Formats: sequence, structure tokens, C-alpha cells
Amino acid sequence: MEAKPSIDPKHRDALEQFARARASRRQVLHGAAALAALGISGRARPAAARSAAPSLTPAAISAAQRALRRQTADSAQAAVDAANALDPKPAELNLVWEDGLQLQDPTLFSGPMWEELTGIRINPIGKPFPELFAAQVAEHLGQTGAYDVITYPPSWTADFVAQGLAEPLDAYIEQYMAPEDLEDYHPLYKELMNYAGQRYGLFDDGDMIILYYRRDLFDDPANQEAFEAEYGHALAAPKDWTEYDNIQAFFTEQGGGNSWGGASQRAPGQVYGWFSEEFRNRGGRFFDDETLDAALDSQAGIDTLTRMIESNKTMPPGIETWGFVEVLTAWMAGQIAMVGGTWPPYGRWSEGTTAEQLNWVPETTVAGKVGYSVMPMGHSLHNAGFHLGVSVDSQNKEAAYLFIQWMTSPSISLQRVMLPYALRDPYRISHYESEDYRSRWEYAGDYLDTLRAAADTALLDIVMPGSSEYHTAIDQMVTAAQAGGDIAETLASGNAAFNEITDRIGRESQKEAYENFKALPGAYYEE
Amino acid sequence: MNVAESTPGSVAATRGPSFAARRRIEGWLLVLPALLLIVALTIFPLIQALILSFQRWDLQSQEHPFIGLQNYRDALVDPRVWGAMQNTGIIVVGAVALEFLLGLGLALLFVGDFKGKRFAMPLLILPVMVAPIVVGLTWRMLWDNQYGAINQTLSWIAGREVNIIWLGHRDSALFAMIVTDVWQWTPFMFLVLLAGLSGVNPELYEAAALDGAGWWQSLRDVSLPGISRVIAVAIIFRALDVFKVFDLVYMFTQGGPGTSTESISWYVYQLGFKFFRLGYASAVSFLIVIFLTIVATVYVARFVRGAEA
Repeated sequence: MEAKPSIDPKHRDALEQFARARASRRQVLHGAAALAALGISGRARPAAARSAAPSLTPAAISAAQRALRRQTADSAQAAVDAANALDPKPAELNLVWEDGLQLQDPTLFSGPMWEELTGIRINPIGKPFPELFAAQVAEHLGQTGAYDVITYPPSWTADFVAQGLAEPLDAYIEQYMAPEDLEDYHPLYKELMNYAGQRYGLFDDGDMIILYYRRDLFDDPANQEAFEAEYGHALAAPKDWTEYDNIQAFFTEQGGGNSWGGASQRAPGQVYGWFSEEFRNRGGRFFDDETLDAALDSQAGIDTLTRMIESNKTMPPGIETWGFVEVLTAWMAGQIAMVGGTWPPYGRWSEGTTAEQLNWVPETTVAGKVGYSVMPMGHSLHNAGFHLGVSVDSQNKEAAYLFIQWMTSPSISLQRVMLPYALRDPYRISHYESEDYRSRWEYAGDYLDTLRAAADTALLDIVMPGSSEYHTAIDQMVTAAQAGGDIAETLASGNAAFNEITDRIGRESQKEAYENFKALPGAYYEE
Repeated sequence: MNVAESTPGSVAATRGPSFAARRRIEGWLLVLPALLLIVALTIFPLIQALILSFQRWDLQSQEHPFIGLQNYRDALVDPRVWGAMQNTGIIVVGAVALEFLLGLGLALLFVGDFKGKRFAMPLLILPVMVAPIVVGLTWRMLWDNQYGAINQTLSWIAGREVNIIWLGHRDSALFAMIVTDVWQWTPFMFLVLLAGLSGVNPELYEAAALDGAGWWQSLRDVSLPGISRVIAVAIIFRALDVFKVFDLVYMFTQGGPGTSTESISWYVYQLGFKFFRLGYASAVSFLIVIFLTIVATVYVARFVRGAEA
């Protein structure tokens, strides 16, 4: 005979309260099960209740207990408890993860901690970012079950779903996640977890592009006076790209070839985000709404590309080859007055770091001098980021889900986004409001407020089947223009590449996907 | 006892296969594991790729219909295939020619004795042992326009600041790839040619000297003909290897700006492993195999066997 589960008496009041408070059908059922559980545990209860209590299965009672746990514990504890109750409990979970710094988190921090809490070993398998997509798709096609936990930027969701690679998570979320922890996600990221009415991933990395500037240079009265005299507006965080270019030109002129007013990532493979952000800020649309013909060569496209090329002239020479590290090196050395947008680790690293893993990062000369701003024209790009998901080929789906719920829970994720060596960035309301994080350096509060403000009005990468190809086509278009290509011709080549991708994947199905993308809060903004 | 029954042949017939047949069977049994391994690891994927090349196999589609030769037809008119082939050709010709000239020069130097030879030899062959991706990363830093040692050195030589954006433009980026490949693989050419030169009969040089031949004539009429087959093999080895150039494109330019520095391997990688257009990527790969097979066959017939004759 199957053993009947009992309920801890100290939870009884909460359980009864829970049963009364919930009105939905599912929750009424859970409440009823919980009431039955009281009887099963043999405690005294009213006769009326006793007679009304339905005869419930142990599974229903377990569900009631889980529901109670969702109400009374945060998602981290709920995940640990549930993982410890798994029977059979897997010995190991395989995670595919971006290698390098990203891999340090599951290797040194979250993996060992989870093993200590649950006895389930975490085996992180590192892949360079360019191989992350291929590795996961290839293992899925081979149905190897090599990965339990998968990881991917939201823009890949459509392709992963089309391949049937990612397990839908809604049932797990319903079962295990405390509702308030789901609400704790920033609304943008919470929405980003949805694709075609399902959740396939738990969001785990708020890669908001914001602008960094040298507060000390901007606050210098001599600079302010000279700048205003020359350009006719105040020296302050730029509100649009004209102001940005003015400030950049001003400081570049002052630098005399040794320092520059600004720098942005312009290297192949990285520059598409900068175009797609400004392009949409100027009112550009990737596609014609009716025909889905590419529309990169609109006036917004011409203006964006023309300005980007022009702006390169007052950036450091060779900016066309500068990526994340090159800009970081110049910034940390105090050679540039603004970073025309980049990922959040700059903010933390600028204040100095002693982590062994970051010994390659140049020593900072700008600690305490950094200001933060949403990108010019008001809508910053959320570029890349990560979802954590469960592979459909995993033999340990429930355990894999519990691990990612634990990792992304408010308490654990806060620690992870504050790890000095990690590349995970704030994405929960509780991250932005954390007193601990806000006290890390003098302007940490400004930093977090800016990241949050940027997320409030952020633009998203394209989330459609073939997103990676669309992004690459933009990248190739921009870098071709940077190498001296004619603006109109390069935009036309971008359009041609977009149309070829759309036609190959299927115009009709892409129309539907585009409508899904447009329904996301950060696809476009109608001004 | 019947005489016929006692002959060796009849004994063999009654005891099973002949000695020679047994040797053959044992031989097959010995190579069978290796053969199965080769079939499993090489032939099977090759056949699988060939089948894929006749299908439309794209990531976004769950259906993979048979489309005959369409992928091949598309590849033959794909401007990116031709652009990538052109870039690859430039790198192959530039790198192999320089590697041959430098390798030959070094081999001629090292075939004789000189002080410090034993010390210099290991240093010279060191680059071959470095992983190509490490070479790419290291040289990317060297080519960096602002912090790289190459521009610094040129600045010292020129006596003014030199700021060439090596990796930002097609021509200079291809040049950078050629130089980097030459740095890494000249030692290979050198070692092969040195082995060839060491095998030339010294009496031929003595005879040439007696006939009044100078250094140049000895080189032209004795050394080069003596190692012509080695040269032919070394060049085809290097050419086939450089044709697969990937690491340098990956580390230096990612195929940019635009698609102007894509090599054919890089393009196939993009098609297959970034965009998962497996059918089309397989077709392009098979076209390359066909192309290389024709080139290599003609080359071997013309130069390797020609030299032999």
C-alpha cells in the first residue's frame, strides 16, 4: 500500500488560509486536497469539514503541498526541496553554457552550491558563443540527450521551438515557482519568456546596452563652457545622436590623437545591434507590414548608416575592427570620454575588480568617474541576453527545470549578477532595488536605475525564425559600408539578403512570425 | 594407400583452405576492424552528406524534401561562393608561393653547416607546433592598428606614426592572412625541402663544380631537378591545406567587412553550422571536393608523375 503523505502542523494555518484565499479552479482543487491532507495527517478538525473532504489520491495531496510551498517559500527553496524529493534523483545534470567568463558561474558558484544542497552534480559543458547554437541543434538532431539544461539568447527562441528543441516550461512554472517570483522579473524580460503563447525559457541575463560617460569630464566647468560655446547646447549625457556626435567631436579634438570623445563596437559580428537600435529609434521597420519585403533602405536606414559612418571619423582610428575588448581597453585606460553603448559588465569593471578571472581586464583608471545614460533617442537595445531552458531530449527534465528555477530565483540570481567575474546582468526588480548591489560603489544606484530605465523602454533583437541570419545580414551590410561601400548599395544588398532569407524560410510563415515579434513590447515604438 | 590421396594438394583439400587462402583471410580479419572504423567514421558521413546535398535541409523547416540538383545549381550561381573561392585562391597562391621561396632559401642555408645550426633549427620549426587558433589570436593582436607590434615597428622604421588598419579592409586583411600563414607554415616547407636536398647525391655537385658550374647553376641544374618531386609534393600538401583556411578568417575578420574576406571554408561553416542550411552546405562542400580532386589529379599527373618520369 502506498504511504500517505502527511502535512507539517506548523503549516496548517497557512494551508487553510491558502485554501480559502484562492478562487481559481486549480487552486480550489489544491485547497480541497490540502484540507484532505489535514484529515489524512490525523489532526482534529471539524466534523463538517471531515464529511465534506473528498477522498484524494496521494498525488493530489502532494500537489497541495507543493502549492503550499509555492506560497510560503521562495522559488529557490522550493526547487531545492522538490529536487531532494525526486525519486529517482539524477546523479548529474549536464549544462551547455557559454565558455570563458560565463562558465565560471556554474563551475565555481552555482554548480557546487546546488550539489551541496541537493546532491545532484552539475556538469557545465562550455562552448564558445559562435558554437553554442550549432552544438545544441546538433545534439538535438542526433537525439543524444547530451544536455539537460540548454541556454540561448531570446532571439534564437523561434528556431529552437521550430526544431522542437526546447521543452515548454509552463507546467513546471505553475507547479514549482512562487507567483511573486515570476512577477519579480522586469516586465520586458517576463514578456520575453513567452513565445507563441508558451514559455520555453527562464530569462537569466539582462544584456541592456547603455551609454557610459566620464562624469568628471562632463562636470568640468571649463569643458562645459567651451562645449556650450562651440555647439550651443549643454555638455550632458546626449539625448540624441547629434548631441552624441557633437560631444564625441569635442573631446576627440581636445585629445589630439591620444584620446577620443567616444567609441562603439564596430567589428564584424557585433555591429548589427548598433544599427538596429538607431534604425528603429528613427522610426525604421525591418519589413513592410503587408508584404514582408525588407525595408532597411528606408529614410531611417539611410540616416542611420550615414551617421554611423560619419561618426566613425571622430572615433579612434581603426574603430571598424574594435569589438568589446578593444573598446574596454581604451575606456579603462581613460582614453575615451564616452562608450557609445555597450553591455553592463563595463559598469562593474570600471569600478575595479580583484577577481582572478578578470586579470586580463586592464586596470581601471576611471573608478568613481563613470556616469550612465539610456542610449541617445531614448530606446536602448537589449542585445543578446540568455534564457535557460530544458532540452526535450533530457532524461532528467524535472531536475533540470528545478535547477534553472533555483539559479534564476531572486535570492540566488542576485548573488550571481553580483559575482565579480560573472557576465550575468540584472534582470529582476529585486536586482535593481537590492540595497546590497546599490551600495557596491558610489554610483551603483545610478547604474542600476539606468539599466532599469533602459529596460523599461528597450528595443529587442529580432525574434523570428532565421533571426541569426537576419542579424548577420545587417552586420555584413554595415561593415561593407564602413569599408567604403556606397550607402544606397549596401542598404540594397541588406534588403536583398533579408528577402532571400524570408523567401527561403517561407514568406507566409514569416509573416506570422513577424506578427508575433511585433506583439512583443520592445519590437518597435510608435512615437 | 592410394598415391593420389597422399599428395599435398589432396591433404589441403581435406583439411580446409590453402595456406595462401588462410593468409588472405587472416589479413582481411586483421584489417577488418580498421576498415569498419573507416567506413563508420568516413564513408558513412560522406554518403550521408551526399544524400543531404540533394535535399532542402534548413533549420526552420521540419520537412526535408528531395530537390535533385537544385542545391548544386544554386551554388554555381551564388556570388558568395565565387567571392569566397576567389579569396581562397588569393591566399593559396600568395601563401604557398612565399612559403616555397622562403622554405627553399632556408633549406639551402641549412643543408650546409654553420655555427649555431643546431640551436636555430628547433626555433625555426616552433611555429608549426602552435595551434592555428592560437596563431590567429596572437597575430590578430600583432596586426591591431593601435596597439599592435607591426604598426609600432613600422612607425619606428618610418620615423613617424604609422596607423594602417590591416584587418579593416579586404586587401590588407588578405595580405595579413597570407603573412600569418607564411610565418606558421614556412618551416614545414623548409623541413620537407631540406630532407629532399639532403638526399641529393653530393657527387653531382662535385661533378658540376668540375664542369665550372657556379652556385646558381648548381641550384638550377642540380638541386632543383634533384628535388623536383619533393617540391611538387610539398606544394600540393600546402596548397590543399591552405585551401581549408578557416582559423585566420575566424580570428581576423569573421569574413568582413561585409563578406569581402570570406574563405570557402568559412562560408561553408556559416551555412552549415551557423544557419544550419545543411543541404546547401553539403552541396557546396561536394563542389569543392570535386574541384580539388580535379586540380589535384591534374597537378599530380603533370608535376609529381612528370617529375618522376
